[in-house]
Amino acid sequence: MSLFFISAEAGAAMAWRPAADIYRTPEGWVVKLELAGVRKEDVNVVASGSELFISGVRRDRFVEEGWSHHSMEITYSHFERVIELPCDLSRASISIEGHHGLLLVRVVTSHEEER
Amino acid sequence: MNEQIESLPVLPIKNSVLFPGLLMPLTAGRPSSVAAIDAALASEDKELLIVTQRDSSVESPTVSDLYTIGTKAVVKRMMRRQDGAVNLIVQGVERVVLIKIEQADPYLVARVRMAPVPEETNTEVEAMRRAILELSARAIQLAQPNAPVEVTQMLAENEEPLQLTYLIGSVLGLPVEKEQGLLEAPTRLDALRLLHSYLLHELQVLELRNQINVQAQGEMERQQREYLLRQQLRAIQEELGETSPEQADAEMFRKQMDEAQLPEDVRKEAERELSRMEKLPQASPDYHVIRTYLEMILELPWGKSTEDNLDLAHARQVLDEDHFDLKEVKERILEHLGVLKLNPTANAPILCFVGPPGVGKTSLGQSIARSLGRKFERLALGGMHDEAELRGHRRTYIGAMPGRIIQAMRRAESKNPVLMLDEVDKLGRDFRGDPAAALLEVLDPAQNHTFRDNYLDLPFNLSKVFFITTANTIDTIPSPLLDRMEMLRLSGYSAEEKMEIAHRYLIPRQLKESGLTDQQFVLTDEALNHVIARYTREAGVRQLERAIGSLTRRVALRFAEGDTTPAIVRVEDLPEMLGPERFTFELARKQLPPGVATGLAWTETGGDVLYIEATLLPAGRGMTLTGHLGEVMQESAKAAQSFIWAHAERMGIDPNVVRRSGVHIHVPAGAIPKDGPSAGITMATALASVYTDTPVRSDTAMTGEITLTGLVLPIGGIKEKALAARRAGITRVILPRENQKDLRELPDNVRAEMEFIFAERVEEVLVAAMPDLAPRLTLPKAA
Repeated sequence: MSLFFISAEAGAAMAWRPAADIYRTPEGWVVKLELAGVRKEDVNVVASGSELFISGVRRDRFVEEGWSHHSMEITYSHFERVIELPCDLSRASISIEGHHGLLLVRVVTSHEEER
Repeated sequence: MNEQIESLPVLPIKNSVLFPGLLMPLTAGRPSSVAAIDAALASEDKELLIVTQRDSSVESPTVSDLYTIGTKAVVKRMMRRQDGAVNLIVQGVERVVLIKIEQADPYLVARVRMAPVPEETNTEVEAMRRAILELSARAIQLAQPNAPVEVTQMLAENEEPLQLTYLIGSVLGLPVEKEQGLLEAPTRLDALRLLHSYLLHELQVLELRNQINVQAQGEMERQQREYLLRQQLRAIQEELGETSPEQADAEMFRKQMDEAQLPEDVRKEAERELSRMEKLPQASPDYHVIRTYLEMILELPWGKSTEDNLDLAHARQVLDEDHFDLKEVKERILEHLGVLKLNPTANAPILCFVGPPGVGKTSLGQSIARSLGRKFERLALGGMHDEAELRGHRRTYIGAMPGRIIQAMRRAESKNPVLMLDEVDKLGRDFRGDPAAALLEVLDPAQNHTFRDNYLDLPFNLSKVFFITTANTIDTIPSPLLDRMEMLRLSGYSAEEKMEIAHRYLIPRQLKESGLTDQQFVLTDEALNHVIARYTREAGVRQLERAIGSLTRRVALRFAEGDTTPAIVRVEDLPEMLGPERFTFELARKQLPPGVATGLAWTETGGDVLYIEATLLPAGRGMTLTGHLGEVMQESAKAAQSFIWAHAERMGIDPNVVRRSGVHIHVPAGAIPKDGPSAGITMATALASVYTDTPVRSDTAMTGEITLTGLVLPIGGIKEKALAARRAGITRVILPRENQKDLRELPDNVRAEMEFIFAERVEEVLVAAMPDLAPRLTLPKAA
């Protein structure tokens, strides 16, 4: 009976969640997100309290004239990921870089103390 | 909110509604839909508009076929199929209002405005949310009692009331109109209210369904319990060393099967059925069907037969003891016994006794059985109209039984009984079948050794059965059936024979019935004769036996009342004891006027005398015939008339009389139908008599068919006719020459008392009947 078949995905919000690895670094944190084909300009990272909001859009830009889809498994459109880190991020500096299909979000927290 | 406007390719869908935030698998096959999907996929955002069609039967929808509120969606997965159709998973993003169609070909493109449902949080919304959560929890409980609790929890965790509404609305399986209504709800509260009413309805349906299920289950459980209890009972019985009733039954049958001498194929079949029966519980209806069937098989005389007593002297003695006279019939029976003695493997004969009622056909069969030492079984076929009665019903029918033949064999308990099929001439026949056809198989010696009853469905050997059929007349017996039987005629008895039968069998039997001795009751010969003549009219002796029975009962009553003087019943006592005379004889008329001749008729109850009256109609023309005459008899009258007219002069008839006047022939009694050609010469005589004005001798009766050339042809029923003539007091009978041989059938005293004149031509009849006419008659040269 499909009446109460409820998939986890259906319950989630409209955006999709990219997979993420989180590293502790001497400077602070690095969040590595699996976001191939997403341009840096389309990603928006906001820190608030101890939470890091990463959101953006994956657009399918790599299409040439005369191509048409035969099948599609890559999820485009809006994604969203909230990552909670065990420290206050209000004073942290955040930078983004793309690296062969991975998106690295660098969070530097110990910046000032080290200087 | 923000008045965002954009253009999107349109994918119309049927029978469902996509809600924002929810995933939906879709298959698109229409070329315009595939084109719209391609366009969406070619864009960077993979977005398109999903709108539900108002009517799912429309193949290429235009703007009027679509709802104006749809959902902007993102294609999440896509897969092209072999046949060109596209499978995809889409996720709703935002509710939109369709403003206008910008492009219709090759796919629809619509201009849409985002129309999100305004945010609103108040206590009513929250109250509604909780009510819905509660209802859905109940619905889940009803629909899937063992659904994990997480489902309910997951719903409760969904804080956003609109998402909750959409989620529940999409899984309820609502009709499209209701789903669309949910999507179109202007506010959260409206959406919640709508869903609430849908849920309530759904819940009622579920509750009702559950109730029905519970009832059905209760019924099932009762049967289940009964079955289980029986199984337990069996287990207990086994534990106690008792055999179950089924086993006991099977054991019994197995033992009986060993004892009965069943033929190999029958035994195999019986064992197969038995093993089937063992597997069934006793409560099963099939169990009893098989049980009855097995009982039937075991009771049939497959190998049992009685030893024939082929002592001819003994047989003759038994036949003579039981029946008076019937010389010819007894000889034929003894002949058959003789054959059986010389060749014991010979098939038993198939006899057919034909004769009027009460002449002893049935009891003759019994005597045959007694003389042979065989079992006797009787089957009444009269009125039987269904073939299945003879041959049985197939076992698949409820209440099926074997046919009457097999049932008779079971009663006989031997495979060579004397089987009497009574009243074979009265077999019915209608759309349900023709029992005579089934009888053909039974009575054919070439087929009846493998007679197959529908119920039994096994070949049964009937070839040793001595079949005797009885009939009152052979006219109604189908000729193929008649062909298989050997006809034995039992004609009626004369008064003397009846006297003899009464003395030998009827009176002793009735005395015994009434508890009298032969000293206490004496019936004088005159009185007996009077009873025969005046109180009965029959070929057999049934009425006579009844009359004697009422006489003995009268006397028995007198004895019972204390008057013990022996009773001698005389003619004078009869009116008092039996009432007034029941039959007045057509006694020979003393004097016959010219134009009246005495004829003889054959009836089913014996013979009768009838007078044929002819009179001239001075002013009439032609011939009138009255007296309920059949067609053959009318033609016979015309032949007689033509002959007389054609030869008028030779017979001394005045041609002028013939020419000027008509003639009327009447045969009393007018209400009784008569037919047949045997009154031909009588009518010729009556005509000759009336034309010549010469009376016919009153002591003379005649019978015979006439031809146009004046020949006298033979007829049947000589014995009955002669006896009837004698009973009426007639002493001379004119018969066709060719019937001379039939006189053998007559008792000797009748032959001695009466004068028989045999004629070949009508002229001889006329001379014998009207001696006065002889001098005037010129015989034709050939005679």
